[in-house]
Amino acid sequence: MKHVSAVAGTAAPSRRKGWPPELNALIGLIVLIVLFEILGWILKDQSFFFNKLRLSIMITQVAVVGILAIGVTQVIISGGIDLSGGSVIGATSMIAMSFAQSSVFPRAIFIEQGWVDLPIIIPILIGLAVAFTAGLINGLLVAYVKIPPFIATLGMMVTARGVALWYTQGQPISFPTDSFKAMGAGLMPVWIFLGIAIIFTLILKFTLYGKHTYAIGSNEAAARMSGINVERHLLLVYTIAGLLAGLAGLVLTARSQTAQALFGVTNELDAIAMAVIGGVSLSGGRGSILGTAIGMLIFGVIFSGFIFLSVDAYYQNMVKGAIIVGAVALDQWRQKRQAMAV
Amino acid sequence: MKKFVIAAFAAALMSTAAHAEKIGVSIALLEHNFLAVMAKGMTDYADKLDGVDIQLEDAQNDVAKQLDQVNNFIASGADAIIVNAVDTSATQAMTDAAAAAGVPLVYVNRQPINVDTLPDGQAFVASNEVDSGTLETKEICRLLKEKGKGEGANIVVMVGELSNQAAVQRTQDVHDVIATPDCSFMKIVEEQTANWNRAQGQDLMTNWIAKGVQFDAVVANNDEMAIGAVQALKAAGIPRESYVIGGVDATQDALIAMQAGDLDVTIFQDAHGQGAGSIDTALKLIKKEPVDKKVYIPFQLVTPANIGDFLDKN
Repeated sequence: MKHVSAVAGTAAPSRRKGWPPELNALIGLIVLIVLFEILGWILKDQSFFFNKLRLSIMITQVAVVGILAIGVTQVIISGGIDLSGGSVIGATSMIAMSFAQSSVFPRAIFIEQGWVDLPIIIPILIGLAVAFTAGLINGLLVAYVKIPPFIATLGMMVTARGVALWYTQGQPISFPTDSFKAMGAGLMPVWIFLGIAIIFTLILKFTLYGKHTYAIGSNEAAARMSGINVERHLLLVYTIAGLLAGLAGLVLTARSQTAQALFGVTNELDAIAMAVIGGVSLSGGRGSILGTAIGMLIFGVIFSGFIFLSVDAYYQNMVKGAIIVGAVALDQWRQKRQAMAV
Repeated sequence: MKKFVIAAFAAALMSTAAHAEKIGVSIALLEHNFLAVMAKGMTDYADKLDGVDIQLEDAQNDVAKQLDQVNNFIASGADAIIVNAVDTSATQAMTDAAAAAGVPLVYVNRQPINVDTLPDGQAFVASNEVDSGTLETKEICRLLKEKGKGEGANIVVMVGELSNQAAVQRTQDVHDVIATPDCSFMKIVEEQTANWNRAQGQDLMTNWIAKGVQFDAVVANNDEMAIGAVQALKAAGIPRESYVIGGVDATQDALIAMQAGDLDVTIFQDAHGQGAGSIDTALKLIKKEPVDKKVYIPFQLVTPANIGDFLDKN
């Protein structure tokens, strides 16, 4: 944080007091694991945490939303919000999948054109192009047309879902090639998430891109004064968020071996929740990929924990909702305390 | 002269009426695959019958447009109207318009909110959701017995979206079948939602396997979750012989999974049959024959034995 203030020349509140917000999330994560572990031994007579398969599924089941959450995190740090991620997943998934079908399936969408069994790079590039376009439009609307991010990306959320549904009139697209499937098989989603998480941690920490993102989120006017091209930077931030949503869509499609128009519904909210739980401030300027990753793991632990304890799904949703609200409340409280500390 | 024209016009009207029953059809959205097949069921069936003329309109998911279409049918002297409602909570206006004009009205596939208060001359044709989960669970019950597990079998239930009526009903069906003495050897060991979704079905099943849940059958509310479960079971190396698995919908993916031996049971909702059934009901209403207020077109059980009949149906 210190270098941010230096770059932007803003009076960002000193954060020496108290511990980093990531630590709050980490403690929350550990408490949850210990809680499920104890309940596990009492109710199920087995360990919750020390189980190789459960450990792997705990991460795998949230890795796709985790990839989305990385993109959302940098948007939130820049002081914005991106609600379109879930729908971009849907649109990317449908369009990319139509170019990833295997000739095994006689009703493949483009079988007459012979566009089946294509090399994996083609659906990936097409999918990313779709996501790039969505992100670019978000960025243009926010940075240049000056539409509030909430509204601009809400518009994209509705539009991209429309595209996903329109593409095949709601019909699912299935039967991908083996190489496309491999992108989502086993622990692959986790490795992809890890790779992206490490890259963006480094980018946010050590590059000008990262410093500018924090600076704009902390104080846009000051960032502008210090010579940052805020418009161009925000365009980049939203475009990257779009691309990461597209990547999440590709991985989800490969993992499911099908594309459905309703893929990704409400994932944007899960992604935002992961970031906020991990200490990313909704008012911008603060947070890290590490925090979001911890937030993601909290979601994974809760999913698996509830299934582990055979808790009714109704309660699962209630708890999920409570966690989202609780995390935002915590963020507000943290800011208030910080404002008072300054 | 004026009288003559009117008389001629009336005669013309009467003669066409004698020749053909005119039925106006308004479909919520013709682009929707299931509804398109249903509409085709109507036109195919009407072609087969002598003296039935169908006027097919697409409401394009527009409530106001649909009401206009119904009023136009009435104005142009349709003998009966078939409506596949855009919004099932906005059907009262159409019911009132048709009742006031004395034109028979049949709702098809989507249950109108006023289904229990429909006036005479109106009816609802669809498949009964109770049947789908019941057929699925009964077949799984039979397969388990066949495998010699009639003494006691554990089953896991994958539930669709909790807000969805079909998910609630199909899950209730599982419980109801198990409550019968015939299938009381089945015991639900886990029941959890996977939101109709394949990836979530995969995740749910993997979590169950991690937990060491022992089961003999997977009963899923739809095919997508069942296919997700199969993917997880395969990845975990669970032998195929150790479980029976079923879903509902008979989607293309499910039929191909069944052909590959991955799926034992699915349930087919007869779109074509619902279309034909709605025409039949409309014709009966025109002739003032007694008709049930709710006419159910049966769901059909799909297994590897009869899968050939379904491959090109939906």
